[in-house]
Amino acid sequence: MDAINNILTAMGDVLAEVQRSLVMVQGRRDSAGAGLLIGPAGPGATLVLTNNHVLNGRTPRVILPSAADYAVELLARDPEIDLALLRIEAADQPAARLAGRDGLRVGQLVFAVGHPWGQRNFVTAGVLSALAEAETRGPRRRVPVLRTDAALAPGNSGGPLVNAAGEVIGINTLIVGGDQGVAIPAYLAAEFAAAHTHPAASPQEAFV
Amino acid sequence: MSQTNNPLIAFSDAMADAVEKAGAATVLVNARQRMPASGVVFEPTLVLTANHVVERDSNLNVLLADGSQINASLAGRDPASDLAVLRLERPAPAVAQPASTDGRVGQLVLALGRPSSGGIEASLGVISAAGGPARTHRGGLLERYLRTDTIPYPGFSGGPLVDAFGQVLGINTSGLAHGAAITIPASLAWPLAQSLAQHGRLRRGYLGVRSQPVELPSGAEQALSRSQSTGLLLVGVDHGSPAGSAGLMVGDILVGLAGHTVSDPDELLGYLTGDLVGQATPVEILRGGQRMQLSVTVGERS
Repeated sequence: MDAINNILTAMGDVLAEVQRSLVMVQGRRDSAGAGLLIGPAGPGATLVLTNNHVLNGRTPRVILPSAADYAVELLARDPEIDLALLRIEAADQPAARLAGRDGLRVGQLVFAVGHPWGQRNFVTAGVLSALAEAETRGPRRRVPVLRTDAALAPGNSGGPLVNAAGEVIGINTLIVGGDQGVAIPAYLAAEFAAAHTHPAASPQEAFV
Repeated sequence: MSQTNNPLIAFSDAMADAVEKAGAATVLVNARQRMPASGVVFEPTLVLTANHVVERDSNLNVLLADGSQINASLAGRDPASDLAVLRLERPAPAVAQPASTDGRVGQLVLALGRPSSGGIEASLGVISAAGGPARTHRGGLLERYLRTDTIPYPGFSGGPLVDAFGQVLGINTSGLAHGAAITIPASLAWPLAQSLAQHGRLRRGYLGVRSQPVELPSGAEQALSRSQSTGLLLVGVDHGSPAGSAGLMVGDILVGLAGHTVSDPDELLGYLTGDLVGQATPVEILRGGQRMQLSVTVGERS
């Protein structure tokens, strides 16, 4: 009993932590995806990571856990890895912890958190099913992806795939064949975010 | 890496350890035109896989966890139970460990597969149901099977279902139940695999009777000294067959074989295993309301 209680308590802690940095991203009126607060973007602002396809080509609304709505700037997007980086005028927001490349193991427990079919902060569980690659039409040709058996649905896009330590290991991106979830590894997302928050990188360059 | 003071991380690590352990003995099976499937090394030079993924008899190979490839030949196959055994040219380093107990409904399980060279793949779930005996659409009889809610990813047929310790509970296949994934328990699959490796096929016993289940007449309970409500009425006994030679006759009601109670045709099929072939085997019948025991030398079904 105690062992199970301890596991359930730890699970609750992990989910409570990640939900503090989970936002809703509304690119279109009829659908919304998820996004993740990943750290400060200069004084008084915070970076938000989400899927490019959630934006549908326009600057979205970002709704925080507090239900507050902030001015949004689109910093960068990369259709090939389906990521977009936003900046919101909100200070001192809790940032998600992005996991590195090491420590990813097939079979490890994962939780997907997002807003599938518009249900806020919905959690599904599973394991990391495969460390795979996806073919792209972009210059990389192939990008590493994580596959999971945690159930994903529209509205999970842009949301985190979290490990048992509460670190984000992937950004949930698409659903293949009805039941296969695919996430972009968090280490790729971190590289993407770093590349576009570097002083030399202006938002204009990101749209080339 | 392991932070075992956090029970959730310890649990997660245990699942990944189970995948790593069983994954070492899970191989890619290259034996069909479209995508490869999976198999389990059950002896250093023997791989158990699903029969339906072995579409050709030659030019077979397996890919091990370490990325090396080994050529293989077909040692035996049994379409009825959808199992096949491949013999490797050289031994594989890791052998799967079968679980000592059958799975329980609700137990956490992982379905594993190695359908690509990209590494082991896994899906977590629970045992949803244990069923059987069931007839397969290939004419076999599956004494027991497991159903799970794991995702049967493409190429998972022939791969193992493992418990939280990486021990093999059974072999997954989508070739027995019209495409639905089921698991053949290791307690059934391992002996069948041994038999396939030895004989190239599964031997099944043959009696030479046609039968239909009937309710036993009143008084049968007393004659049998046990409670049994149905038996098999013999409606045909082939001339010169093992049953005929042993003196079984039309009208006899078969109620037992080799010490087992027989109350329906599936049970009879289940007990007529290959190891009885050529053996003098006791058959228990009711004839004219009286219990009799005859000895039948079981033949081999072709």
